[in-house]
Amino acid sequence: MARYGMLINTKKCVGCFACRVACQMANGLQSDESFIHFKEEETGVYPNVHAEVVPVQCMHCENAPCQQVCPTHATYTTDSGVVLVDENKCIGCKYCMAACPYGVRIAIKETGVIEKCRFCWDGSEVGNPPRCVNTCISGARVFGDLDDPNSDISQEIAATNARPLASHLTDAKIYYVR
Amino acid sequence: MSSNTTRRGFLKGAAATAAVATAGICALAPWRHSEAEAAGNVVQTPSLCNGCSSKCGLVATTVDGKLKTVEGMGDHPYSKGTLCGRGHGTAQWAYSDGRLTQPMKRTADGGFEPISWDAAFEEIGQTVKGILAESGPEALAIIQDPRPSGKYYSKRFINALGSANIYTHAAACNLSKESGIQQATGAQNFSVDFGNTKMVVFIGRSYGDGIRPSSVKSLAQAADNGARIVLVDPRLNNTNVMATDWVPIKPGFDIALLLAIANVLVTEDLYDHDFVEESCVGFPEFAQQVAQYTPEWAEKLCDVPADRITELAHALAEAAPACAIESSWRAAFGCAYQNSFETARVVCAVNALLGSWGQKGGALITSSPKTGEVDEVKFPKLPKVQAKRLGDTEYPLALSGTGTNLAVLNGCNDGTVQGVFFYNSNAVQGYAQPAKWREALAKAKLVVTIDVQMSETALASHYVLPECTVLERMELPEFIGGKKHYVAMRFPAIERIYPDTKSCDEIFAGLAQACGVGQYFDFTVEELADAQLATVGTSVAELREKGIVELPTAKFEYGTPAFKTPTEKFQFTSQAVADAGLNPVIGYVPRLVEPAEGEFYLVGGKQSIHSHTMTLNLEALNAISREHDMQRLWMAASDAAALGVADGDTVEVSSSEHAGQVSVKVTERVKPGVLFLPTHYGGSSQYQSRANGYGLNMMDFIPLHLEPGVGSTMSQEVAVKVRKVEA
Amino acid sequence: MVWGSMIAWYLFLAGASAGAFLTSAFVEAKYPDSTVMRIAGRLIAPVFLGIGLLMLMLDAEAGLHNPLRFFYLIMNPGSVMTLGVYCICVFFPVALAAAVLEVLKRPVPKWLTWTGIVSAFCVAAYTGFLLGVVKACPLWNNAILPILFVVSALSAGLAVTSLVGLILDRKRFEQMWLVKKGHVILSAVEMVVLFTMLVIVSSGSIEGAASVQSLLTGEYAPMFWGGLVLLGLVAPFAIEGYPVFITRKVETSTTSMVVSVIGESGVLVGGFLLRLLVIMAALPVMYL
Repeated sequence: MARYGMLINTKKCVGCFACRVACQMANGLQSDESFIHFKEEETGVYPNVHAEVVPVQCMHCENAPCQQVCPTHATYTTDSGVVLVDENKCIGCKYCMAACPYGVRIAIKETGVIEKCRFCWDGSEVGNPPRCVNTCISGARVFGDLDDPNSDISQEIAATNARPLASHLTDAKIYYVR
Repeated sequence: MSSNTTRRGFLKGAAATAAVATAGICALAPWRHSEAEAAGNVVQTPSLCNGCSSKCGLVATTVDGKLKTVEGMGDHPYSKGTLCGRGHGTAQWAYSDGRLTQPMKRTADGGFEPISWDAAFEEIGQTVKGILAESGPEALAIIQDPRPSGKYYSKRFINALGSANIYTHAAACNLSKESGIQQATGAQNFSVDFGNTKMVVFIGRSYGDGIRPSSVKSLAQAADNGARIVLVDPRLNNTNVMATDWVPIKPGFDIALLLAIANVLVTEDLYDHDFVEESCVGFPEFAQQVAQYTPEWAEKLCDVPADRITELAHALAEAAPACAIESSWRAAFGCAYQNSFETARVVCAVNALLGSWGQKGGALITSSPKTGEVDEVKFPKLPKVQAKRLGDTEYPLALSGTGTNLAVLNGCNDGTVQGVFFYNSNAVQGYAQPAKWREALAKAKLVVTIDVQMSETALASHYVLPECTVLERMELPEFIGGKKHYVAMRFPAIERIYPDTKSCDEIFAGLAQACGVGQYFDFTVEELADAQLATVGTSVAELREKGIVELPTAKFEYGTPAFKTPTEKFQFTSQAVADAGLNPVIGYVPRLVEPAEGEFYLVGGKQSIHSHTMTLNLEALNAISREHDMQRLWMAASDAAALGVADGDTVEVSSSEHAGQVSVKVTERVKPGVLFLPTHYGGSSQYQSRANGYGLNMMDFIPLHLEPGVGSTMSQEVAVKVRKVEA
Repeated sequence: MVWGSMIAWYLFLAGASAGAFLTSAFVEAKYPDSTVMRIAGRLIAPVFLGIGLLMLMLDAEAGLHNPLRFFYLIMNPGSVMTLGVYCICVFFPVALAAAVLEVLKRPVPKWLTWTGIVSAFCVAAYTGFLLGVVKACPLWNNAILPILFVVSALSAGLAVTSLVGLILDRKRFEQMWLVKKGHVILSAVEMVVLFTMLVIVSSGSIEGAASVQSLLTGEYAPMFWGGLVLLGLVAPFAIEGYPVFITRKVETSTTSMVVSVIGESGVLVGGFLLRLLVIMAALPVMYL
């Protein structure tokens, strides 16, 4: 069984928002609803400054805190490690939003369901690749099976020493090069 | 659910076919069971993005006729399978609530009322005929922002009326840069061979902010290969993630930095003797003149330490010929300063000294394909227009393909222009100071704007004709140059949502008919497209199937290119420049406006999600701007501290022309003494609710003045004062 | 923040409901004559909880559109919210039954009261644990918060029941020294617990410190000092504590009654503000 994850290389991300808008269209989100959030980081003092854009979305954590607190089991994890929301079970209590350390769960205005990135899950499989990866103009995103040492993502993680953003918070499946 | 398998030619190949088949399902948000069950016919259609002038190839997926997703066309040289944020955003234009849905006519009280197409055409035709009878065809002009159909139909229309007055937006975009490069090399643009380059220097341009996907990919590849990537910019732009060096510079003094680099290369004998001796004219004059432009001289002007300039020159010489100063676009010398044209020439001169023209890893001049002659019976040739284009005398260095659109503004003011058409152009908001444009257009007898939305230019018009949006229309083929040649075209992916909108070709045919020159437009866009495509060995049917077709072309080879200048050499000196009354030898020209004590330089620039002023009202893109407060004015932290301004505070910015308030982004990413204002904001059309009154429009602050020789708008020749507005 | 005033109302009303039930049980045991307070407590408990649950459901929009989904709430025993639902599933019917029996002037069996007492404590504690297990927010994720919420819940339940006693049966109420003493002590304990929690949260992490700072000196300072500390804790402590511990005499004046009403109401305002502020001021741990 695959265990899906993603790599985001912020050294290649120019912050064009392609992933956000492509994701919105594919997932039927409103303009002000987004599964992908962008953190602008600026470090240093003029003229020795570094700026980066860090796209953040559901990290598909192992033992996801949002899943642990979800009272209705609307949030669940597939055998392939994808954290999903069963919109027919979600009551919109927002407990998952409070529990998510990354603040990436959002309320869908139309339904009140608390949604998030699902790696473009189509009902039986993940997107191949998900829309954000498919449209990334600089190849900053890599998607694949973390358990397969020969997958692009495993190779890339090894080559770049990519790590999750905050391993002290959760065991995330999105790896970052920063 | 059915996917049209015959239309998979434009997909990325075998692997991608599977990917898109999945994507087709994914696009239905299938966990929404009701939606998935209701989903019916999935159709994919090739087209070209309209988010910017790159016109990337895209594939639109519709479900039961409604647009679901777009993705980059795999074989298109610009998109290479991906689309940027504004590509996805502008694809949704058809469904925007800010669209024009029917023709409008200005009323006596300055408002607008609907008018039928027939009546609009009739009234416009009568007025045009009146102007023709009274003042002749020279009193008519058209300005367009080039799109495949637009550049053909608008030119044909105005030429059919007997006028040569056709202009593009270039005077407010890349005119100076293209003209400067042309005087030096004969080409209007060049590209950097990123795959093989060792060092590239960007002057103000940011691939990460003014995006073409292929450029970003190329740069990422260069970065991966370990190339040194230098950003010369008063602002640390979004390309910085891929760059190795940031050289903050005083705005408008890039020319000094570049001349000093040239000085080092010449005085230290680090230049390419073979190239200079065999392929150039005017080097001795240039060498003599450049001797005065020492790094120490430049430091005083551009505020980059002389040591750093010398180091850059040495590093370039070391990397030569696999290095280049990048060609840029609008950025710092497309139309910004009095010295923009000259800056472009200096860029070319440095590349010449480095011997990088045509070399692996250097600056490449490539060719472009074009359509051959089509059937003259079906598509009759126009009589030759006798008149000279307005503005070409005063600004002889303006390109033949663009002219300077500000000649129209001046022409309205002095009465020589009485009828103006705008196609896909928001001149009022972006080409020069809006107040000056409004004042000028108010004097014209006829102003007609063709657009998809009620732009500021539309508001200054007598008639506004609604075009259907990009995915609702077919357009003429777009020919794409480069190392390889291609042709692609737009096909309608969705039905027209508003039946009272028309496509470019239909609108111009209607106008031509009403103006008495309908005989030149007696064909459909598809007929002309097929005829044009036949001349290059393909057809509308093949493009519909494949999305893009590669054209046979001579294989690109490295080596000194054929310079298509009058001397057939690289020109350190130019007779045309001398004829325009300027220094023929590439040299120094100062910027025009210098801030006084306590004043700031003001620079503008693009943000990746917007294109000019046209995308600001789009729901998906406006939402991003607002979420991230992207309308803010960037101010250096040290300047902010001195003014007592905190992040998010409101300040009043004022120039000799205008004052306005905006909130501030306090940052370490901008050179002290310089303010950065993104150039998309400050909409003033009440018909565009999300854009109206949001942020500032930089052009409001800019005095009306034209760059000598080329007639560019000098969009950054301004000094501003800033004061904190107490809450 | 994720949640707003609706959830603050819910947390407050659920806590006050539990507190009211416990007060009524206490009054029944210690002051069998004081029927007004007993009845008040028993009626308030299900009514407050009912309103609170309504708030919760109004806030849970997806469930509001599809009410049957609320049955799924019992699905995940690993979630504190589900555990809370279990507690409420016991407490609410018990409180309702006790109220109905009271209205019907029938005796409430001992076992029912005891079941109510246990489940009421659970409900009061659950409102604290609900937030307490959220690791992302230091202001919530500490052992003190549930204690604080329990103390505040008892205090609020006592206050709302006392308010009824004070107005409808003042003579007897003024004689209930245990109730009055307990009330003062609860206010004092709450002050100590709140202080302790803020110290611990503040020293534990930067985000915790920032949360505490926003309460003490930042944007929530007026609400914190004026509403929670002064009106909700110090004023009731002084108003009740003065006659109980200093003058030790039974008050009969109208002035004292008005002051007492202010004190009891202050507890309620403070109880609500405590939840609101805890919800609003919570800052998540930075992950970048």
